[in-house]
Amino acid sequence: MTAYQITFYGIAALILVTGFLSVTTRKIFRSAIWLLLSLIGVAGLYFWMEVEFIAAVQIAVYVGGIVVLIIFAVFLTQQSGNEMPKAPPARTLFAVLSALFGMAFSIYIICNIKFPVRNEVLDASVSKIGTAMLHTGKDGYALPFEVVSILLLAAMVGCIVIAMKNPGEKIDEKIINHP
Amino acid sequence: MFLIKYIKEVFGAVKSLAIGMRRTLSYFVRPKEIITQQYPDERPVIAERFRGEVVLMHDENNEHACTGCTACELACPNGTIKIVTKFDTTPEGKKKKALDTFVYRLEMCTMCNLCVEACPTSAIKMDTAYEHSVFDRNKLTKKLNNEGSKIRSGVE
Amino acid sequence: MWSLNEIVKSTDLKLNELFKPGMVFFIEAIIVALLAISLFAILGLVLVLMERKVSSFMQVRLGPNRVGPKGMFQTVADTIKLIVKEGMTPDNADRFLFHLAPFLVMIVAMILLAPLPFANGFQIWDINIGVLFVSAVSSVSVIGILMAGWSSNNKYSLLGAMRSGAQIVSYELSAGFSILAIVILSGSLTFSDIIQSQANGWWLFKGHIPALIAFVIFIIAATAETNRAPFDMAEAESELTAGFHTEYSGMKFALFFLAEYVNVFIVCAIGATLFLGGWMPLHFGDNTTFNHVMDYIPGIVWFFGKTFFLIFIMMWFRWTFPRLRIDQLLNLEWKYLLPISLINLLLVTVVAISGWHF
Repeated sequence: MTAYQITFYGIAALILVTGFLSVTTRKIFRSAIWLLLSLIGVAGLYFWMEVEFIAAVQIAVYVGGIVVLIIFAVFLTQQSGNEMPKAPPARTLFAVLSALFGMAFSIYIICNIKFPVRNEVLDASVSKIGTAMLHTGKDGYALPFEVVSILLLAAMVGCIVIAMKNPGEKIDEKIINHP
Repeated sequence: MFLIKYIKEVFGAVKSLAIGMRRTLSYFVRPKEIITQQYPDERPVIAERFRGEVVLMHDENNEHACTGCTACELACPNGTIKIVTKFDTTPEGKKKKALDTFVYRLEMCTMCNLCVEACPTSAIKMDTAYEHSVFDRNKLTKKLNNEGSKIRSGVE
Repeated sequence: MWSLNEIVKSTDLKLNELFKPGMVFFIEAIIVALLAISLFAILGLVLVLMERKVSSFMQVRLGPNRVGPKGMFQTVADTIKLIVKEGMTPDNADRFLFHLAPFLVMIVAMILLAPLPFANGFQIWDINIGVLFVSAVSSVSVIGILMAGWSSNNKYSLLGAMRSGAQIVSYELSAGFSILAIVILSGSLTFSDIIQSQANGWWLFKGHIPALIAFVIFIIAATAETNRAPFDMAEAESELTAGFHTEYSGMKFALFFLAEYVNVFIVCAIGATLFLGGWMPLHFGDNTTFNHVMDYIPGIVWFFGKTFFLIFIMMWFRWTFPRLRIDQLLNLEWKYLLPISLINLLLVTVVAISGWHF
C-alpha cells in the first residue's frame, strides 16, 4: 500500500468515525463539533484529489458558514448544556434500519454504475471553473448559475422583510433605557 | 440627499479618526517627553504640605514642646495617638504632669491633620516621609518622643 | 548573490543525494515544521514586547525596562512564568472541548502560514488558490473561540464567544471583498503571481483610489477579525473580564495569547503581500537605477519590514480608539464597510477592464 492510499484510508476513517460520533453523542454541542470534524475530513479528501478550489469552498461554506450557524443555534436553545435523554429503543432500531438501508442502497448504486476511466489530467483551475460558470454553450452553467443567484436574492429579500421594523411601530424608549 | 449625508458622515468619521491618530503618533515620535519617574532611581519632588506621618519635633538639646495635654489624642478620629503621661517633680518640689510616651499607630492614621491643629503648643507636625513599608506591622506602632527627651523650658 | 531561494534549492539537492525521495519529503516536512514553530515562538516574544513598548510610548510611559537591556527579555520572563503556572479546569466544564480549543486555534494559525511567501521561492506551499485558501481556513478559527467559550461553563466566556462569532462572521465579508479587489487587478489567486504582478509598483499605488479604499477596508476588517481593540468585544476586559479565555490559565492561556498575535502577523503579512508587494522591493515603473538600488535589499527584509509596518498601524489603532459597542460594530460593518466595499469592487473592475492601472 502506498502513502497515497494510506492517506485516503486515514481521511475516510476520520470522516466515518466523526460522522458516527456526531449522531451518537448525547451532548448537542459536541455533536456539532464532530460534524465539523467530519466536514473538514471531506475537505481533506478534496485536497487529496487535488481539486483545491472545491476543497477551499467546502471549508468556507460548510465549516466557516454552516457549522458556525449550527453552533449559534445550539447556543440559543434552552438547556443545550444538558445531556439529552436516551432515545427509546424502537426509535433507535428504526434509525439503525434506515441507516443500513440507505447504506445498502448507495453501495448497490455504486457497484452497478460503471465508472469510465479517463486518462487525461483533470484541469480544475479557477479560471476554467469561472469560464464554465458563465458559458452559455455546451458544458456551460450560465443558466443554473443565474437561477441560483435569483434564489439567493429572493432569500436575501425575504430576510430583510422579516428583519425590517414596521415604520409605524415605535419602540418603547422606557424599556430600552430602564430595563 | 441621503447619499450626500452618508458620504459626509463617512468623511467626517475618517477625519476625526485621523485627528486622534495624529495625537497618539505625536506622542510616539517624541519619546523624550515621557513623564514616567523611575521611582527608586529618581526621587519624586514632594511638596512641603504633603502629609506622610506625624512627628514630634525635637530641638538640638533633645527637648520637645509636648506638655502631655492629650488634646491630640482627643482630636484624633481613629484613636491613632495614645499619650502616656507621668508626673515629674519640678525644681521647686511641685509635681507636674509630663509626657512619658507618645504612641503613634501609623497603620491607623489617615493623615487628616486634626491632631496638628489641636496641639496648643505646636509640638507635632506632619512630615513628608512616605516610604513606610515594613515587614512586621508591629513596627508601624511608633514611639515619637526620643529616649531621654524632656519638655523645653518655658512651654506651659 | 546570497538568497534564501539558493539555500532552499541546495538543501533540497543535498538531501536528494543522501536519501530516497520519500525520506527527503519526510525530512523536509520536519525542517519546515521546526522552522514554523520557531517562527511562532519568536513572533510571540517579539510582538508582545513591541505591543507593550508601542503602547507605552503612545501613552507617554516607558514600558517594560527592567528585565535585560531596555526590558528586552521581559516577554521571555513572562513566558517562563506562564509555563510554570498551574493549568486549571473549571467545574462542570466540557473537559475534552476545553482542552481541544486552544490547540484548534493554534493549528488554524499554523495552517494559515503555509501559503505565505516570505521571500522569492521561500514559501511552504505555493497553492494555486492561495488567497481563497487563506480566507477559507481563517474562518475556522472562530470555531475554536466558540468552543472555548462554550466549554468553559462560564457566562462571560459564552457571551465573549458569541460576540466574537458575530463579529468574525460579518467582517469576513468586507475583508473578502477588499482581497477580491486585488485579485481582480492582478488576475490571479496565487500569491506568487500576485507578487510578480507588482514588479513595477505596488497595487496600493498602481490601483489608484479604489485600491487605497480597499486597503483601508482591509486593515479595518483585519483588525476586527483578529479581535483586537477597538473591536475587542470578545475579550472586553471591563465588561467580560477576559471573554472566551476567562477560565484558561497557564500554558493554555498562553496558546490563545500567542494565537492572537500570530493571527495579527498573518493578516498583516497577507495585507503586505496583496497591497504592498510582499517581498518585492519598492519599484517605480521603468526607473532602472532606482529599482536596481532597491534590489540590493533582500526580499525577506522587505517582507518583514512591510508586515511590521502594518502591525504597527494595527497597534496604533488599538492605543488610539475606544472600544465600539456591539451595535456600533455591526452598524459599521453592515451599513458602511460592506456597501462601500461592494461599490469599490465595481470601481476596481472598471479600472481593471479599461486598463487604467499602470
